Amino acid sequence: MSESGIDVSRDLAVAEPAVRDGVLAGRRSAARAAGVVIALIVALAVPLYLDAFWLRLGMFAFAGVAAALGLGLLLGQAGQLSLGHSFFVAVGAYGYTFLAAEDRTVGVSHQAGLGLPPVVALVLAVSLAGVAGLLFSPIAARLRGIYLGIASLGLVFVGQHVLFNMEALTGGFNGRNVPGFTLLGLSFDDLPGETLYVLGVPFGREEKLWYLGLAVAAIAYLTCRNLVRGRPGRALRAVRDRELMAGIMGVPVTRYKAYAFLVSSMYAGLGGVLLALAFGRIVPETFGMLLAVEYLAMVVIGGLASPAGAVAGAVFVSCLPAVLERYAAVLPGLAPDGAEGISPAIAARFAFGTAIVALLLLEPGGAAAIGGRLRSRARRARRP
Amino acid sequence: MKVPMIPAVAPALTVDAVTVRFAGLTALDDVSFAVAPRAVHAVIGPNGAGKSTLFNVLSGAYKPAQGSVWFRGTDLTKLQPHDVARLGVARTFQNIALLASETVEENLMLGRHHITRTGFAAAALGSPAARREDRRHRARAREIGAFVGLGDKLGATAGALSYGDQKRVEIARALCVEPELLLLDEPVAGMNAHETSVIAQLVRDIRDALLIPILLVEHDMGMVMAIADRVTVLDFGRRIADGAPDHVQGDPEVKRAYLGAGEE
Amino acid sequence: MEQLLQLLVGGVSLGAVYALLALGFVIVYKASGVVNFAHPALLMVGAYVTARLSAAGDVPFLVAVLVGVGGAAVVSLTIQMLLVSPVARRSVVAASILTIGVDVVIQTEITRRIGADILPMGDPWQNRVVTVGGLTIPQTRIVALVVGIALIAAFFGWFKLSTWGIAMRAVAEDPETAALMGVRRQRVSALAWCLAGLLAAVAGLFITVFPSPGLEPVTATIALRAFPAAIIGGLDSTNGAVVGGLVVGVAEVMTQGYASELSFLGLGFHTVMPYVVMVLVLLARPSGLFGTRELHRV
Repeated sequence: MSESGIDVSRDLAVAEPAVRDGVLAGRRSAARAAGVVIALIVALAVPLYLDAFWLRLGMFAFAGVAAALGLGLLLGQAGQLSLGHSFFVAVGAYGYTFLAAEDRTVGVSHQAGLGLPPVVALVLAVSLAGVAGLLFSPIAARLRGIYLGIASLGLVFVGQHVLFNMEALTGGFNGRNVPGFTLLGLSFDDLPGETLYVLGVPFGREEKLWYLGLAVAAIAYLTCRNLVRGRPGRALRAVRDRELMAGIMGVPVTRYKAYAFLVSSMYAGLGGVLLALAFGRIVPETFGMLLAVEYLAMVVIGGLASPAGAVAGAVFVSCLPAVLERYAAVLPGLAPDGAEGISPAIAARFAFGTAIVALLLLEPGGAAAIGGRLRSRARRARRP
Repeated sequence: MKVPMIPAVAPALTVDAVTVRFAGLTALDDVSFAVAPRAVHAVIGPNGAGKSTLFNVLSGAYKPAQGSVWFRGTDLTKLQPHDVARLGVARTFQNIALLASETVEENLMLGRHHITRTGFAAAALGSPAARREDRRHRARAREIGAFVGLGDKLGATAGALSYGDQKRVEIARALCVEPELLLLDEPVAGMNAHETSVIAQLVRDIRDALLIPILLVEHDMGMVMAIADRVTVLDFGRRIADGAPDHVQGDPEVKRAYLGAGEE
Repeated sequence: MEQLLQLLVGGVSLGAVYALLALGFVIVYKASGVVNFAHPALLMVGAYVTARLSAAGDVPFLVAVLVGVGGAAVVSLTIQMLLVSPVARRSVVAASILTIGVDVVIQTEITRRIGADILPMGDPWQNRVVTVGGLTIPQTRIVALVVGIALIAAFFGWFKLSTWGIAMRAVAEDPETAALMGVRRQRVSALAWCLAGLLAAVAGLFITVFPSPGLEPVTATIALRAFPAAIIGGLDSTNGAVVGGLVVGVAEVMTQGYASELSFLGLGFHTVMPYVVMVLVLLARPSGLFGTRELHRV
């Protein structure tokens, strides 16, 4: 048992395929590169063919990806059992909203805002989330294992309480509109009378946001993967598995735990900004324990220490409720609004609750481990 | 107790009146000794004598109740473990402390942590400097791996190796720190005679190649007699003998500690 | 002064209920090493079964309660035997995360069945109050206090004196040696989970009667108080669980009682007060008030 009581790599059978098989990587890279190019072309072409439902869904998925990558760094790499991820996501979401919105008083309700350019607001919101993580890290450093987990859960509840009560910032229970995103004069909103046409397809808010989300999620994935494979990831994993040894080997343990919180909260904040843009209007209700459990589900289902796994888990958990709702009419047992049967939202919850149970019973390494096993089996099959 | 003088040289490492207490138990009691610059210095004693506690004090993991440890003009007892590493103090662990799920090479690269500088931002962006640094240090880690005899096992998962090989990875990782002082905690524990002699030769090779002081905790008297230049004996946390191996071997106090008074 | 006393009494009686909840949670942790995130779900199961049965007409309240409590104990035992035990053998952390999934599934199902309703428990005490020395105390709270004290006393008596209790303490202290002494860890675990279900269900009953309107999906959030209560006391301390429960109960009721004076802290602050107290306690004592502090050996 490691000093923190949680031995993430042993307990959750962490799959880190990228860190092994350095020798084989070269041979695989040609096939891999081709795959990436094809995926990229498909991703870029999506808004030309799919309707607003899928584009909106994609935006939620991109938001989930960014946040899940952050939680993967914190839990999978650094081994810090923090269940408070939705708090830092909220900081990003409300940070962006506050920073980018115009200060306005409508009747008795005052909605505060700084009216900054959205790009600036995004960067500042992400930094704000990072700072919040940094501020929490000394508390986290003093706590071990499950004590940290539940303390961070407390952070979520206290945070939500603050959000419900700071009406000028959040609009209270009723929520607040999220300012649209603009970049270098190009607006990512619907502009009546000024529709952009690309290859004959009208590009509205959903289409434009898709590219923003795709770019942000891709950058998040690549940076996270670089961290995991490089010096920081190595140091974090040493802190996770053998904290005392890591310190003796030269890793400044407390500082790295703080870095882990800083960086993972930044990813969470980024996810929060994307989430806010995806919703268009945010309410404090969203940023509670259920969302925190969803993020945990994403990384557990995907495979804790694998960035690619986090992406897969995020897509699965984000998309499942909406997909079930869309196809409720055709799927047996599901009931579209009010009819006999299980509502899609509830079905989605059953699904991911069951997924967590099933995975931990059978394959704790999550989708990443399953993927790794399939890959080795394929490799073995190729060799005679 | 005063620090014993070593003839003719200024010591590289000085342990001065170190006392460590754990909730009523005195693990180390006023222990003093000095290590010469290019010596292999063994610390021996029966189980529970306080040898691993001593190493933990030297690494900065335990703070002594009293006393100091001087190395390169600094008192190690006032430092955090990672700062002790940055001074060039490297060690192996009695119970293997490798990252079992990672490759040997990655374990060695961990030893390079304090000599490398790639931070989060540079690593995340995949900067050319980060990639260059990684390549350079990986090459060095492979070199060290080969020196230790693990050249063909660098890609293996550390947890899957034999016990003897894992001990070797520990040594290689300590070397990756580019140490000015090497602490080996029971490097041949659990090994047969052949493996022991291989490791003993490795220790000699390290001393000859790096010209650094090597502090060795060991039970195996044969190995100690063969390679140590000087021996310090601990019993119940106290230093009971210090000097050249033959001298210590003949010391009646040492005999009593190991064999017991009045026994055969 | 009267208000203070009133609130104190209310806080202690609620605290007794939280103590039951936290105690069940800690018992499971001590016996099997697993943090049972499905504990709130057990509470909901017990309360739901009781509510439905007593509303069914000819079922006496006491029977409904017994069936509810028994149901929760059975569900808890099933979770332990089918799901937790095989995983806990490998890793208690994985088992703990697994209970999160179990919690989601069970709570989703119960929420679905309750829908938008609020289910009354059908208890005989209703909204009757008792006036004692100038203080007005709901009958439900008096019963809660009495039952709570009785159960806690019974538990501690059993824990300290009976063979099973000693066995459970042995397993919590040193599982390997206990096993060598002939203690069947599996049986001790199973018993612990049963007890947890039982205690959770009793707590659930008292949380859903007056002054609460009844059982609704949001009751589960109240059940979450088990966690800060257990943490405040120290996760592996049964004494701590009782103390933690009392602390949380008193803190919550006091904060609610003085809400107008504390209005600057926001509406509904009493619901987050347990967590604030928890963080404050953890800052001073990172392992809770009575939890064992971890030692580090290289």
